[in-house]
Amino acid sequence: MNKRLLLVCCLTGCFIIVASALGQEGHPLTGTWSGDWGPTAAQRNHVTLVMNWDGKVVKGTINPGPEAIQIASVVLDVTNWTVRIEADAKDQSGKPVHISAEGKIDDLSSAHRKLSGTWMQGTTKGDFRLVRD
Amino acid sequence: MTLDSSEISVNKMKYSPFGLAIAFFLTAIPVFPQRPFSAAYDSSRQVKLQGTVTRIDWVTPNAFVFIDVRDATSTITNWVIDIGNPLDLERDGWKRSTLHIGDSVTVEGVPARSEARQAFAKSVTAMRTGRRLFAPSAKRAATPAAPAPRWPDGQIRLGAPVGKTGYWGTASSKVLVENTAGKIPMTDDGLLLNITDADKVAPFLPWAKSLYEHRQRRSLRDDPYSRCVPPGGPRQFQMPNGFQFVEQKELGRILLFLGGGNRNWRVIYTDGRPLGNAAEAVPSYYGFSVGRWEKDTLVVESVGYNEKFWLTSGGLPHTEALHLTERFTRTDLNTLKYEVTIDDPRTYTRPWTGGWTIQWVPDQDIQEYFCEDNSDFVR
Repeated sequence: MNKRLLLVCCLTGCFIIVASALGQEGHPLTGTWSGDWGPTAAQRNHVTLVMNWDGKVVKGTINPGPEAIQIASVVLDVTNWTVRIEADAKDQSGKPVHISAEGKIDDLSSAHRKLSGTWMQGTTKGDFRLVRD
Repeated sequence: MTLDSSEISVNKMKYSPFGLAIAFFLTAIPVFPQRPFSAAYDSSRQVKLQGTVTRIDWVTPNAFVFIDVRDATSTITNWVIDIGNPLDLERDGWKRSTLHIGDSVTVEGVPARSEARQAFAKSVTAMRTGRRLFAPSAKRAATPAAPAPRWPDGQIRLGAPVGKTGYWGTASSKVLVENTAGKIPMTDDGLLLNITDADKVAPFLPWAKSLYEHRQRRSLRDDPYSRCVPPGGPRQFQMPNGFQFVEQKELGRILLFLGGGNRNWRVIYTDGRPLGNAAEAVPSYYGFSVGRWEKDTLVVESVGYNEKFWLTSGGLPHTEALHLTERFTRTDLNTLKYEVTIDDPRTYTRPWTGGWTIQWVPDQDIQEYFCEDNSDFVR
């Protein structure tokens, strides 16, 4: 890598650090989360999760848009920042399929905190990794 | 000889990937320039230094003296000594010229939490004269209070009396706790001495209490203000650089000039316009405010806050549902009573109230302050 390219990389990295420092300090689940889930490292499915704390419960949507899935329930255990998300979707043939995700919030103080754990969709079990936008 | 060695190593670094990586690291660090005291300094430790002044930086919100300290092996290291807010120091009669490059001093203070050779001075003593420098003045606290100034129509003036200058300076508290809580042991910047006291600070919802405790356990080092985020909400009235009211009666508004963060300002509309719908407001650090007078008290209602700041340095959380009711009462020339009711049903189980008093600083104006001004001292 030549010197100029390295310098550009350094400055870009610096910008990213500065930008990522600007946070959202409210309810830790509120916001848009992006990432993927899948049964293996090679088989991944994009996931966008939008959640909002209304003062009583966390409501949300998986993959907002024409094929949006409404989240049925979100349970946050604030003693260890673990999360359980339940939703009911339909598979490609139109059959009902239940989604159950259990994970933990990491890097709680960061605007770009992470949520990762296990993802069960119907009979397929995998893992998920989300980062708050 | 030592200097030459340093220059050689710097030149080598400048052209190597390693050097660029170090430069990148150093460039990235100064985005955290104004950490809460508890995040920056370790009050459980003490340091005593003797050294020679090499540099004086008289900048807001904290002035610094740099000293060369020789250790037992005759190795010289440069220490950064934080001597506090220069506006406060000037009010106590201290000047930039109080110390000179080359003076010898003894410093007793609190060292930084990090490995940085930095300390907050509890005392600075000139070795030649034995005189203690930068100490608070007893005279300041004894200033007699005149009645609160008024406009010709009889309404209280929140700014300076006619023909004079001044601003609102030091707050009696740098933390916010519910006013029924009693005395809760904590540091000046809101770090609880006993984490189990969190329940007493405010009527948190469970998630908010847990997040508050998380911030406390990290010694407030995640404070957004330390990343130059504006001090929104009640915290704007606890900043070391103070604030000014500019009452524009003919325009139906009061401007608040804030000394504590990047020349920020806030508008309080007093022309009778409604508060509006918080959900439709563009979320901001200082919110949308309307004010009215209730006898001698200015009552200000505000909504439309973003979630990017802490309510106070102790780490109180909030959401965009935050609704503040602030009551400003100038009880005499020198004293402003500030009371704030926090109504955020997504964060707290019920509305709650806290407050403090703020002291008038006569014959001075707030000074320019940009957060980055202190950035190169954080190492």
